[in-house]
Amino acid sequence: MRWSLTAIALFVLQLGMAQLGGTPSFSNGWSKSGQVQQPEFFIFPWEPGTRLQEKKTSLSIEIDSMGMQPIKALVNEGGRTTLYVSDISTPVCADGDCRLMDIRLYWTLLGGYAGFDRYRSAPLTKHDHDEFVYADYLKLHQLLLDDNSILKRRKIDELVKKPAQPEEEGVDAIAGATIKEVKESVVSGALYSCYTAWHLVNGGIKDKIKDLTISTLNNELLEQMLMTDNSDYQMFVLKRLSDRQYEQYYVRIAEIFGGGIPLVRTLIVKNLPETIWNSERLQEPFWGHFERIDINTRSLLLGHLSEAPASVVHGLSNKLGQMTKNQLKIYLEYLSESQFLDTSILDNLKNFSSDQREANAYLVSYFLEDLRL
Amino acid sequence: MKVFFQIFVSIICTLRLGWCQELLIEAESFDNPGGWVVDPQFVQQMGSPYLMAHGMGEPVADASTTVRFPEKGTYHIWVRTMNWAPGDWQAPGRFRLKIDDRSFEKQLGQRSGWGWEYVGAKEIQHNTVVLSLVDLTGFNGRCDAIYFSVQKEEPPASPRKVADWRMQLAQEPNAPEELEAYDLVVTGGGIAGCAASIAAAEQGLKVALIHDRPVLGGNASSEIRVHTLGIYGHFERILKKLDTEHYPNGSAEAKLDQKKRDDNVKSYENIDLYLNWRAYDAVAENDSIRYVDARHTRTGKRKRFSAPYFVDSTGDGWIGFWAGADFSYGRESVNTYDEDWEEWGELWSPEEADNAVMGSSVLWGSKETETEQRFPEVPWALPVAKTYEEVNGEWQWEFSRNDLNQIDDAEAIRDHMLRAIYGSFANAKKDPKNATRKLEWVSYLVGKRESRRLVGDHVFTFNDAKKGTKFPDAVVQETREVDVHYQTVLENEQNPDFISEALFYKTPRYYIPYRSLYSKNIKNLFMAGRNFSTSHVGLGGPRVMRTTGQMGAAVGLAAVLCKKYDVNPRDIYTGYLEEYLDLIESQKYLKIPESKK
Repeated sequence: MRWSLTAIALFVLQLGMAQLGGTPSFSNGWSKSGQVQQPEFFIFPWEPGTRLQEKKTSLSIEIDSMGMQPIKALVNEGGRTTLYVSDISTPVCADGDCRLMDIRLYWTLLGGYAGFDRYRSAPLTKHDHDEFVYADYLKLHQLLLDDNSILKRRKIDELVKKPAQPEEEGVDAIAGATIKEVKESVVSGALYSCYTAWHLVNGGIKDKIKDLTISTLNNELLEQMLMTDNSDYQMFVLKRLSDRQYEQYYVRIAEIFGGGIPLVRTLIVKNLPETIWNSERLQEPFWGHFERIDINTRSLLLGHLSEAPASVVHGLSNKLGQMTKNQLKIYLEYLSESQFLDTSILDNLKNFSSDQREANAYLVSYFLEDLRL
Repeated sequence: MKVFFQIFVSIICTLRLGWCQELLIEAESFDNPGGWVVDPQFVQQMGSPYLMAHGMGEPVADASTTVRFPEKGTYHIWVRTMNWAPGDWQAPGRFRLKIDDRSFEKQLGQRSGWGWEYVGAKEIQHNTVVLSLVDLTGFNGRCDAIYFSVQKEEPPASPRKVADWRMQLAQEPNAPEELEAYDLVVTGGGIAGCAASIAAAEQGLKVALIHDRPVLGGNASSEIRVHTLGIYGHFERILKKLDTEHYPNGSAEAKLDQKKRDDNVKSYENIDLYLNWRAYDAVAENDSIRYVDARHTRTGKRKRFSAPYFVDSTGDGWIGFWAGADFSYGRESVNTYDEDWEEWGELWSPEEADNAVMGSSVLWGSKETETEQRFPEVPWALPVAKTYEEVNGEWQWEFSRNDLNQIDDAEAIRDHMLRAIYGSFANAKKDPKNATRKLEWVSYLVGKRESRRLVGDHVFTFNDAKKGTKFPDAVVQETREVDVHYQTVLENEQNPDFISEALFYKTPRYYIPYRSLYSKNIKNLFMAGRNFSTSHVGLGGPRVMRTTGQMGAAVGLAAVLCKKYDVNPRDIYTGYLEEYLDLIESQKYLKIPESKK
């Protein structure tokens, strides 16, 4: 019964659209002459003076009961695609009551969510027809950024009431938390709009966009992506660089190593080729970030102690306080077997072992005690 | 028993060093632990069960014991303890030692790493004194042992040396003197171990179930409170005796299911239940286990258990580890078993193998009361909790880091979670809306998801789940999605490092073969529970407790046929598979007694 009501509502809606002349135009930042302003909700920095032109692509996105809507590339003045965009008009139905949601969605070159723009003339609305306020748009932006949202795994029906305990389908992460988690992540009173937008952004189109990018991939594009601060781009590139390119870009890679997210850093340590570990000059920038990087990455870096030059091994004896208990054990074990354990390192160890403020001082005391045996 | 142990130590000591007059009191053996709890989780790492003042911020009642001194005199006293959150603040778990009515001034629990703290000297004027531990904070002060000696010579501190010293002092013979013989010895009383015991006992096997806690259920117990998930497969009748309702994780309702589970297991006459016994060794000869050795977590008494077949349901794969079974730990490289999921890349399965695993949880909760409730300042917790505020914990409260091994560093992991919990709750309490809120329950047991995985004839992988491979020896089945966890701090350093995220892969119904439930190289060893033969990603689905319960029931029945034909677990697959599958089918319903036929 509900579905037949929905179908009638959609029909009426489409009839209305035809009379109104279809999608209203967006009012800010873009026109036929190109996009000159940053999308209102956006993940990238926007250089002043940027002008992006829309260009047709072979991609389109299927909108429920509205057919296919085109995905366009946004191309910079150098002719490079930098984003993908689609002006979406989609029905949002709840219990037979359907409205249109108009939104301009942006994707990254890898199909990730990049941002959205709203229509000034057609603001998003909630079920009670109240318009979204700015905080609601911001919350929608946060939701769309979460590519692992609970909305991904649940049908809309399962989100509006507490699901019966699934004997056949227990899920560690859902049960008991469903309603709370959903409430926290969606705009209050706009679950259906949020659900629809999330699935448009994070649906099958992601892979299609990524495939399109991969089909045109070249070294120039790899370099362009490596120079951004987008961690998806960085991961994508780091998995594709040759050993020679790792050397070529080692300064940039070391910079990402210092400022990137832990996931990217760990990939860098794992992927750095032997040629870098064999060179004092090339590996030093990475060790230079030792104090600032996260614990997981630091552990992986310490896995390369045996390839580190003397200057690094000595330098680390001044950074014992930055090591966790087990990292300190690894360092001490390495010292006990290496030729680097000289008086200057021993002095640093002694100082550390007698420092009352250092939680792991006792480990160094044990080490020195065992050395005396 | 306790008195005997002290005297024994003292006499032996006399033989060893002349009349040295020294006495070692194991804290876990105190006559009256008061509000302190016995914590045996980290014996293999720090050397012993210990007493812990788990008061959630309110000092607990004194622990006390009567001690007999062989000789009067002036004794120097040390306590083996640890400051579990060292830093630029007062140690969180401070306590004092009291002899009869006199407390020593010295506050204990202040040194980094397990070791001895000197308490002071005391003239012992009577042969019998009462020794007490006085908790000062309610924040997990811990005491492993108290050492008295007329000589002011501190016992060794480094873990290597203290273990030798302890053994020398106690002069225990290598093997326990008491020997118990069974058809099947099951170590680990989680859902898998309980199900294995029941399945075997129902078919007539004499079973020993060794478990290091006072209650059964492991992660499902009222001490950890994770609800059981997954399907029943072929074992609904057995698993319904053991599982839980679907309350939120951490719910006090776990206590009701606890009683059901304990009563059910205890109802089997041919299951000898060894509660509060922790296995510490497995002795193998010619790739077969002959004995499992265990020690009582309070009295220190030891027993040796012999059997033709053993089940490792310890979760950490201890029995297999001691016996020399092949095992794995960490994440295989993506190409090892072709377990790629491109959407999640490195978070799902790494290009290069590493030692990252899913983390451990410590569940907790608070409740509203009618009056204002104060909670102490916890500066030592804030470096972990930072500004995070919360009043309850769920499964996402999980911790894993690649420098911490889920077995070797379990105490550090538990302590990190305690800091996260106390700190987050203290932050939440600053909000006036939480003025009447009080911490109700914080587990002190680590709820592990993943640790050692023993290797069987088949390693269950993500692809087995994805394809729903119908193995000829499929004995466990599941429909639950494969979900693999990662720490959210990997994606954003601003996130707390104790909160995780789950990645779900929807699969068809999938099956686990019997060949994943016995060891590849230890001939008479079954495994059930999270330490079964699986890859890291493979564990993502069937690690939940109805599924591990199915594993337990399946190996319990396999053991029955092993005994019947005097063969090893592998032989059931190669020679008796049909009969085994028939046995699984036939146990689904209780047999009608002869008298009612």
